[in-house]
Amino acid sequence: MTVGQIPEAATRPRASARSGSAPSADLPRTSMTARRQRAFYMFTSPWVIGFLLLTVGPMAYALWLSFTTFDGISPNWRYVGLDNYRELLSDPVTWDSLSRAGVFAITSVPLSIVAGLALAVLVNRPLKARGLFRTLLYLPAVVPPVGAGLIFKQLFNRDSGAANGVLDIFGIDAIAWLDDPYARYVILMAVLWAAGNVMIISLAGLQDVPRELHEAARIDGASAWRTFRSITVPLLSPVLLFQAVTGMIASVQTIMPLLIAAEPTPKGVTAIPQTNYMYMMHVFAEYFALGRYGYASALLWVLFVLILIVTGLIFKFTSGVVFYNVDPEAKK
Amino acid sequence: MRPHAGAPLSRRRFLSLSAGGAAAGAAALSGCALQVAGAASGGGGESITVMAELNDLGPELIQQAQKELGIRITVVKNDITRLIAMITSGNPPDLVRGLGALDAPYFAARGVAENLDPYFAKSSILKVDDLDPANDLWRYDGKTQGNGPRYGMAKDFSQDAMFWYNTSHFDKAGLAYPSETEPITYEEWLDNAKQLVRRKNGQTTVYGGSYNGLGLGILFTNLTAAAGGSLFSADFSRVDFTTPEARRALAWYVDYAKTRVGPSLIQPNPDAWDGPTYVANRMAMSGNGYWLGGMIYPEPKVAPVSRLAPAPVFEGGPRLSSCQSATGLWMPKKARNKDAAWRVFEWFFGEAPAKARAEGGWGIPTLKSLRPLMPDKEAYQQRVLKTQQAELEHFSVTPFTPYIKWDALEALINQVIPAAMRGEISVDILAGRLNSTVNEQMKRGKEQVG
Repeated sequence: MTVGQIPEAATRPRASARSGSAPSADLPRTSMTARRQRAFYMFTSPWVIGFLLLTVGPMAYALWLSFTTFDGISPNWRYVGLDNYRELLSDPVTWDSLSRAGVFAITSVPLSIVAGLALAVLVNRPLKARGLFRTLLYLPAVVPPVGAGLIFKQLFNRDSGAANGVLDIFGIDAIAWLDDPYARYVILMAVLWAAGNVMIISLAGLQDVPRELHEAARIDGASAWRTFRSITVPLLSPVLLFQAVTGMIASVQTIMPLLIAAEPTPKGVTAIPQTNYMYMMHVFAEYFALGRYGYASALLWVLFVLILIVTGLIFKFTSGVVFYNVDPEAKK
Repeated sequence: MRPHAGAPLSRRRFLSLSAGGAAAGAAALSGCALQVAGAASGGGGESITVMAELNDLGPELIQQAQKELGIRITVVKNDITRLIAMITSGNPPDLVRGLGALDAPYFAARGVAENLDPYFAKSSILKVDDLDPANDLWRYDGKTQGNGPRYGMAKDFSQDAMFWYNTSHFDKAGLAYPSETEPITYEEWLDNAKQLVRRKNGQTTVYGGSYNGLGLGILFTNLTAAAGGSLFSADFSRVDFTTPEARRALAWYVDYAKTRVGPSLIQPNPDAWDGPTYVANRMAMSGNGYWLGGMIYPEPKVAPVSRLAPAPVFEGGPRLSSCQSATGLWMPKKARNKDAAWRVFEWFFGEAPAKARAEGGWGIPTLKSLRPLMPDKEAYQQRVLKTQQAELEHFSVTPFTPYIKWDALEALINQVIPAAMRGEISVDILAGRLNSTVNEQMKRGKEQVG
């Protein structure tokens, strides 16, 4: 049975029902359709209920909070309308932290995609111990962010870190890696260290590229670079788009600066070096250090809307360059 | 119209059913939350929930409480966000860990803490005349800390401006030991630290000294008092870092951080706090009170060469030696099992756990009657105890404001001060920025307290 047959079968009993006469031959089909729909809804309902309970509910609550001065404890909080939104528009910390998050996303996402893709191309080649390399390169991606933060914090500590230990061998003075202006590079390194995540998705994409296309290009005399540029990358473009979108969303919400902070606590978050004080650090500080639940909720809602807009723009501007390899028959 | 049994489920109906399911789920979850306290009571005997650190109330103490009191204790990890969630949902813990020096005015002014005076009045275990004055940090009369009803009690305390030093580092540097009876000045402390610090290729191998207090907010409150002033206005609604006393305190600390003689925001300690660094022989002086003895005494190499010195003073300033924490427990006003909570409170502060704490050296007992239990077997313990007992005469309460949570004050200072530590802004500019940012937050706090 093809996909195209389903609507035909599904519409007929409805028409019969509307006419008021239900031919007995259609009844099994009706119940089959209903059963299939019920099965669909039963399988999806846990997720939908979870989504309503754990996403829509808290978001609605945060939206309500964003119109108040609620701080969790004090008795005299009140409704302030759009005051929190007005305040954030004129708050230089909001814009500075947002622009830092933007710069971080623009830098880290392409770098990690390129690094991940390069690694994927490497481990897609017929190498000895290929499985071992794949495992080793992917390993950092499964390290929990808290663990990764601790590792980087210890590696780059000024007084006891291995990074300065290496410099010491060459007689070079210690560097305060976790302070400005170097702190931003440590964060970038932490992101690139976990590029195995991007690698594994790109590797799956690479293995889906039909081999005969590469063979045809080689017969036609195309160089390896030309083949990669004209065949591999276009066929991988949906995967790369997916990684760009999810990477962008994750990077503007990164909490890695907090994890490598001298004191990863609510009161310590504001001591994060200026270059790493990104939007989520500002949100975290407003929520948990200053107890400004209303203002922090407004900050989160603005971020949510901005992410929606940027995601929409990415889809719009990449629609002409992303190649979807869809079976034309299935599309009908 | 109700769809018949075989009819396909419409998307609208599916979504409304899902919403119903989600609402039922939410109700079920809140039911679970209620059972945290309620479930235990079904197990025979009473039950309470305590928000604490696991080292305050570990599994052994919980079992001991069940055995001795017949009360089952459920411990939830100390976390302000969780506390707020529990209070907001009308299901607060029965007892909550807190810092008397900083939390008492904040929670009392907001009406969420129970007045414990009636309980103390009836208690045969916690008698008011046996309470150490450090417990006054848990008192708040609606205007000032240190007077009025008691909202909690400290489990132990220290005079946190005192400092420990390791004589072996002083010997290596050829410096005279600080007096154990007379306070040195803050300037002398810093001079010593500059000579004690050891560096190699820009890396600090031995910190000359650490002086960060429990946090920068409470440190500046106390340093300003030691310089003869007050960080807060008379009604505690504003701070002023530009007064000569507050400026002197700021300048001293900025100098400390700038010279990188010890850990600070711009030179974080890889061990995160002084204890491990000091006992690893990598810190010559540590600005911590008596309680650090609990960590030092078990170290055979460090304990005999460690001494405790009085809180430093500023030249011309008063001799003050306050407590910056007074960590203990308070009872939320909406606690469900207040009588059982009070029984645990009495046991924790006046019976077996209190005696065990007093013997450990992890702080001065908060009941005067328990002081004889403080460790004094070794010569170095007797020496430390003598210094500590003399220092108690200089104990005083430095009141804190109810209009800002202490970690909020800390966060705001942390945001502004690194630039001064790096020498990018002057102390005067720092003082102005601190006034502006802290007073804005305190204004909001005052509005909300009413």
